[in-house]
Amino acid sequence: MTVNLGPSHPAMHGTVRLIVTLDGETIVEAVPEIGFLHRGFSKSSEHSTWHQVLPYTDRLNYVSPILNNVGYIMGVEKLLGIKDTERSQYLRVLAGEISRITDHLTCIGAIGLELGAFTVFLYAMEARELLWDRISELTGARVTTSWTRVGGVASDLPPGWEQKLRDCLPRVMELTGEVDTLLTRNRIFIDRTRGIGVLSAEEAVDWGFTGPCLRATGVNYDVRKAHPYLVYDRMDFEVPLGASGDTYDRYILRLEEIRQSHRIVLQCLEQMPPGPILIDDWRYALPPKKEVFGSIEGVMAHFKLITEGIQVPPGEVYVYTEGANGELGFHLVSNGKGKPYAIQVRGPGLPILSALPRLIKGHAIADLIPIFDSINMIGGEVEQ
Amino acid sequence: MSQALVDLVRERFPDAKGSSHRGDEVVTVRREQVVDVVALLRNQAEMKLLRQIAAVDLLTFAGESTGGGALASIEVPAYALEKKPRVEPRFQVAYNLYSIVRKQSLRVRVELRSDDLKVPTITPLYRTADWWERYVFDMFGIEFVGHPNLQRLLLYPEFVGYPLRKDYPVRKRQPLVPELDFPDLVRGPGPGPGGAGVPMSQTHVGRQNVDPDAYD
Repeated sequence: MTVNLGPSHPAMHGTVRLIVTLDGETIVEAVPEIGFLHRGFSKSSEHSTWHQVLPYTDRLNYVSPILNNVGYIMGVEKLLGIKDTERSQYLRVLAGEISRITDHLTCIGAIGLELGAFTVFLYAMEARELLWDRISELTGARVTTSWTRVGGVASDLPPGWEQKLRDCLPRVMELTGEVDTLLTRNRIFIDRTRGIGVLSAEEAVDWGFTGPCLRATGVNYDVRKAHPYLVYDRMDFEVPLGASGDTYDRYILRLEEIRQSHRIVLQCLEQMPPGPILIDDWRYALPPKKEVFGSIEGVMAHFKLITEGIQVPPGEVYVYTEGANGELGFHLVSNGKGKPYAIQVRGPGLPILSALPRLIKGHAIADLIPIFDSINMIGGEVEQ
Repeated sequence: MSQALVDLVRERFPDAKGSSHRGDEVVTVRREQVVDVVALLRNQAEMKLLRQIAAVDLLTFAGESTGGGALASIEVPAYALEKKPRVEPRFQVAYNLYSIVRKQSLRVRVELRSDDLKVPTITPLYRTADWWERYVFDMFGIEFVGHPNLQRLLLYPEFVGYPLRKDYPVRKRQPLVPELDFPDLVRGPGPGPGGAGVPMSQTHVGRQNVDPDAYD
């Protein structure tokens, strides 16, 4: 029998369609059909200035948008050959790790929800909202953050924000602990996830897996450790590894990564130096408003940056950062004319989703949902 | 560090060209060599992870920026093909490879002329190449010879043209997709494919048979 799941199905997380061939309850074959959320990210970007692309990157992974902002802006900075200020690097890591926690909480909450553990979902959402409140105080928006700038970030920490974050983090970790106690040794949850959707390490690499799904198979690849960018080399954290590569490992790995990200956030708050949050080079960064209104150089720099955009020298780079789901890559080409000549994004979810037929083959149709949840497919980045 | 990889390729393929930009090592090879080069890197340099296959259309690279200046209209076609000199080779396909064990990355680049947009597939080497090749085919119309299922990935089969080519206007409208016959479970088997009933357009749902006065 052939069953059509999606594109509008509550468990399909956005809009992916699965055409599943069944033998009884066993899945014989599955064909994913994607593209229902295709927005023409690359084409739109090619007709915008380098900074105008930034809001489009929010919408790639809408549960951890700051990680996309950071990944993209680091690509532009690599093309320019510049670095942002030290405080901005700490701010990017800080906000990025908070976003990673929200991403993992969303994934875990959804697994719980769709396996019938609604309590888990509520705990995870409460923790996520606490952090998204902090993100919205910092950037002005929960999800559409557009917070980074070439050479820095858009805004510094608001007054009292650090204390607010320090106040809410224990509650977030307490809620994460509740999720842990509700699921990790739960007999029903273990029965539904242990040994389900197993992939070996070699196969996972062959399928292009990165991030938690790859590390669940035991492969130690985390861009933050392998090629430390920003200030990750100054952070003391561990990369949790799984062993069996099944749904349970992917769950437990995300839970552990929340704890590691929590450590990084606290270290950022400790180590963060005072200083400027944006470089003082008006070829790349907007001059402060005082200069724009008070000096002819400021007006001209502002006008040039807004109308023509940043002039990026010709070149081609591939820049990669650790997104919440894996390696987030941007393939950027500039022809030196003020707009990106070509942008193609490597959403970590795309290779992972392409392996979904392999993961669910031979399992019962009821197992499809936890497997699909645990790979945490995000429509925005997969379908661009 | 990655220079060693370029040397490894050039040892076996002397006409491969190495280049570098901002620390990204690139090796440009001929189209016929790409499968062998990628296989060499995969088997001898532990490059087991294919990060991405990307493509670039160089049509307007040297000329004006696409769509005119920052304030120009984006509704006009970006590039009048017949008036401009042809850019050859027009397309580049880039394979971003990575070795998790050795922490090295390398980009293998293939240049293609616009009259012969064919590249041999690397799906036997990397399973993830399946979808990336479909993506590049979808967006640029580059054919990957030997791919087991070369269909559009993100766009629908009836889509006309290849949107990431530089001569595709950003606001181009697509024709409406004609209605398909589909098997009608309610009305029973009929003449369409798979035993379809009356085509949608002939039923009360279709527009053709609707009496325009009926809704007055």
